Amino acid sequence: MSDINTLRELRPAPPPAELEAMRMAVRERFVAGTARKPLRPRWRPVRRPVLAGGLITAAAAAGAATALVLTSGPGAVPGHSRTVVTTAWTVREDADGTVSIYLQQYANPSGLQQTLQADGVNAIVRAIPYTVAASANKTIVTPTCNYVTINDREPLAVQGAVLTVGRQALPALFIIHPDAIPAGSALFLAFMASPPNATGNIAIKPVVLSNDTAPACVPVATKPGPGASAPPIGHKASGPVPSALPKAA
Amino acid sequence: MSIDTQTSDADLIARSLADPDLFTAVFDRHSGEILRYVYARLGPDLAEDVTAETFLAAFGCRSKYDGAWPDARPWLYGIAMRQISRHRRVEERRLRLLRSAPVDGPAEDHSDRAVARVTAQRLGPRLAAAVAALPRQDRELLLLIAWVELSYAEAATALSTTTSAVKARLHRIRVRMRQELGDDYPFNEEKDDE
Repeated sequence: MSDINTLRELRPAPPPAELEAMRMAVRERFVAGTARKPLRPRWRPVRRPVLAGGLITAAAAAGAATALVLTSGPGAVPGHSRTVVTTAWTVREDADGTVSIYLQQYANPSGLQQTLQADGVNAIVRAIPYTVAASANKTIVTPTCNYVTINDREPLAVQGAVLTVGRQALPALFIIHPDAIPAGSALFLAFMASPPNATGNIAIKPVVLSNDTAPACVPVATKPGPGASAPPIGHKASGPVPSALPKAA
Repeated sequence: MSIDTQTSDADLIARSLADPDLFTAVFDRHSGEILRYVYARLGPDLAEDVTAETFLAAFGCRSKYDGAWPDARPWLYGIAMRQISRHRRVEERRLRLLRSAPVDGPAEDHSDRAVARVTAQRLGPRLAAAVAALPRQDRELLLLIAWVELSYAEAATALSTTTSAVKARLHRIRVRMRQELGDDYPFNEEKDDE
């Protein structure tokens, strides 16, 4: 008997089925990440844009106070045609048509959808409804339904051509190549617009659907804990809200 | 593209410099193992991210791979450790969890494995605390030996050191753990395994 053998017994291990699913997700990211170089974008997300002096136009839609559209001048980034900055996310359209999403918070899905569509990405962004339970010092969120896309996805090769995942967990980074999205397809993105630092948040990953219809959100059985409350579906908008969503479910 | 199972990692990595797709075969061979290791160290939330970052970093520096090593595992573990070290706080939390986590129930046979499991059940929290108290580099070495089952030579490669340095450090770690566990240390004085 050895102390090493005893220590070996303490090693945590994922369930085999979960491990394989995780491995396949990592493989997708690896293949996507090595197919297009460089992986990392040439820019760093703008968190505090310089306001003075530049040609900065506020987003036209409601909620524009927290969304900035940088087109040129000191606040914009040379070589990029458009950058939309909100407190929750930054979307940048590069000069070559590539669109990058830098996600700092899971918030304002409708504004994100509108911005992506304006950048030429046929995008559908949905909020996942959830319940909130308070436990000790934690806020635990649990989805009440899940968007099931497994049967409506484009093949892996298309996913890899459209999407490069720089980082999936917050702060997340996704790089989209709109030209690679097949006609009639759409990029789908869903997340729980839940309170910051909530436990149970879903690490999202966009998928390319084989159609341009938002999938149904399939209810899941939940057991709300003590003090659970069900907030209204969706989110509290903190940026531009589209007046009309062409892809609304 | 057909990959002979006899083709060494070193050969694949060398050929991948001209044909990058070949590196996917290295990924397929070792990603499950690296993912399990990262999962054990950091938990489910970061396992995918850190494993992906490990292989992307490996892909990016594959031109520096030492072809003298046919098996890429030690090299990949070395890269994984560097990625893991960026998430020190998460690992500390994980180790705290380990101290209170139950070990699977006892096996019904009396093999060494069953004995080790029973001992782990009894000593688990204190052993985990002793591991958590080790300096980071010592902990890396101990977990490479205990959890990954690398040989001393492979661990030396992963840690960019020599085999004799690994043996010496492992001896010091055992002495320290013996001190931490005091009278509860149940293991006989034994020679290192290699």
